[in-house]
Amino acid sequence: MESFLVAQSLFLLLIAIATLVAIVAGRLRLPYTVSLVLVGLVIAILQPFAIEVTPELILFIFVPPLIFEAAFHLDFRLLRSSITPVLTLAVPGVLLSTLLIGGLVSLGTGLPLTTTAVFGALIAATDPVAVVALFRALGVPHRLAVVVEGESLFNDGTAIVVFQIALAAAMSGFFDPLAGLVDFLRVALGGVAVGLILGWMVAQLIARIDDRLIVSTLTTLLAYGAYLTAERMHVSGVLAVVVAGLLSGNLGLANTSPTSKVMLFNLWEYLAFLANSLVFLLIGLNVDLQHLWLNIQPIAIAVVAVLIGRAVVVYGLAWIAHLGRERPHLPLVWRHVLFWGGLRGAISLALALSLPVTLAQRETLESMAFGVVLFTLLAQGTTIRFLLRRWGLIERPPYRVAQERRLGRLFATRAGLRQLEQLHDEGLLTDEMWFGLREEYQQVRHRLAQDLNRLFYEHASLEREMLIQARREALRAERGALSDALRRGMISEEVFEELKADIDSRLEALNLIQAALQGRWMETGAD
Amino acid sequence: MELIVCATRGGEASRRTQERAIALAKDRNAELVFLCVVDPDFAGPQSEAVAAALEDELKRLGRSLLNIARARAREQGVSAGIICLSGPVWEEIEAYLRRAKATTLVIGAPRVEPTSQAFGEDVQRFIEHVRQNLGIEVVVVP
Repeated sequence: MESFLVAQSLFLLLIAIATLVAIVAGRLRLPYTVSLVLVGLVIAILQPFAIEVTPELILFIFVPPLIFEAAFHLDFRLLRSSITPVLTLAVPGVLLSTLLIGGLVSLGTGLPLTTTAVFGALIAATDPVAVVALFRALGVPHRLAVVVEGESLFNDGTAIVVFQIALAAAMSGFFDPLAGLVDFLRVALGGVAVGLILGWMVAQLIARIDDRLIVSTLTTLLAYGAYLTAERMHVSGVLAVVVAGLLSGNLGLANTSPTSKVMLFNLWEYLAFLANSLVFLLIGLNVDLQHLWLNIQPIAIAVVAVLIGRAVVVYGLAWIAHLGRERPHLPLVWRHVLFWGGLRGAISLALALSLPVTLAQRETLESMAFGVVLFTLLAQGTTIRFLLRRWGLIERPPYRVAQERRLGRLFATRAGLRQLEQLHDEGLLTDEMWFGLREEYQQVRHRLAQDLNRLFYEHASLEREMLIQARREALRAERGALSDALRRGMISEEVFEELKADIDSRLEALNLIQAALQGRWMETGAD
Repeated sequence: MELIVCATRGGEASRRTQERAIALAKDRNAELVFLCVVDPDFAGPQSEAVAAALEDELKRLGRSLLNIARARAREQGVSAGIICLSGPVWEEIEAYLRRAKATTLVIGAPRVEPTSQAFGEDVQRFIEHVRQNLGIEVVVVP
């Protein structure tokens, strides 16, 4: 009982710290995951409490929801359009990366190649959470975000399989390439098969049962169930979750009501936030700075090897994949993002922590893994925003910024005017003062409205976007009014659900229209 | 009396297109109709509820844009009608032009490249088709 209470208190404490970090990072515009690691490091130095992180905790508790959420959200149509670069990076990319990093680290440190190949595999999986969060906030091209997320999803699975094979070779001192390939195919395809079967079953159920609570429960069962089933069958749990998430998120949701969809997306967004927060905080908490300092030389070699390996994979393999094509799958600037945005995280650390104690040089490998993860998070994770801007990936046209600026001023002016009116109504402002101030405010408002009108004349599509935004606001207000009416007993639950579902459908329709206008899918050339 | 149909849907050139149509209607003392065609098929297969909401919201957006255009015409002393249709864009515009016995079509079309004189291939084809087969004057506003 006592140990349960201690564990529960620690869990709540970690969530409280993560929430606090989220608030502060948001205010200071710092990358959230990086901030969590830094706070974890500080706590680790001060040592007010200690938490032992086991690989099972990361792999069995945190990884399934993180991977499931990413796969569940991924639009299969978009993924299909980028499947060549995604699979090139995630399968041959991981194999090449393992060999290159293993070879370079072996050369630099003098460790045997069989041992460093294990490190090469465990560090091959990218974890671009910090980068993807930035993508969403800054609005980089959607297809680039899909390539980064898609690569990360599939290379997690590939890296774990390669890691297991490399580890078996390192422990036995013997490696049969043919047997290794057969084993790789068995574990990877086995995981995909488990994901296909379970994902398809749950997708069928979701499509038929439109009850948001049951559907949410089914997806939770699927995320953990697919992982556990695959692992019990000694095939890839990660790949099973990826495929199950993709199937249930795309096939299953095709006929689901918008109300259920909203709930599902909110649920998974929350679970992923929770898992991410705890994982990155635990990463920081488990860094032994003294130990890292003692291994600074192999860590430096590992960082250089990882950067070289990533460069060869991203630029080299992408170049090969482009041969014979007029237009590249990945523009050069996107490859820069893939190179510098290839952060490492939870999977690499979980694999490093799972290294058997009997493995020679285990501690060095673990330190190298922690060192590389810290470097990618602190050096790459904190500079990617600057680089995205420099590479012109988040630039907005000046007229759009001008519109936002005028809108902002208009909102502020209206609020100011309302406040003055209230002060006047309360008798704190005399009639003369109120008329004088009102005149000034009204002139500013009039001028801003004219400016906006001029902007809409020059860029008429802004006006259409404004109409969509205004309609969205109106629908949200309608939904709020329905909730009020339900609370006050003016309408029944049944009628509330029916009307709310209609509003949710309309909001989803507006999202589709907005996405189409941004992606110019529905343009026929006429205006 | 001449009938000018202004096909518009709120894109980058739409304001210029509407202004041109209003000026033409004023000059020629012609009737003016603002036409918007929405095509919900762009979104691919959707659930029944979302498909219905999508068509309705597209029409609502189209009608709002047309109301704004009509108000602008009124400000300049031109009274205009508005029509919002749903379906494949080119086919619906052509069918309406035939039905209403239009004499002029004013349409906005961004250039393929800012410096180029060419419009998109489909716009070019449609303009030629309307000119040749319907005998209607087509004014394209870039």
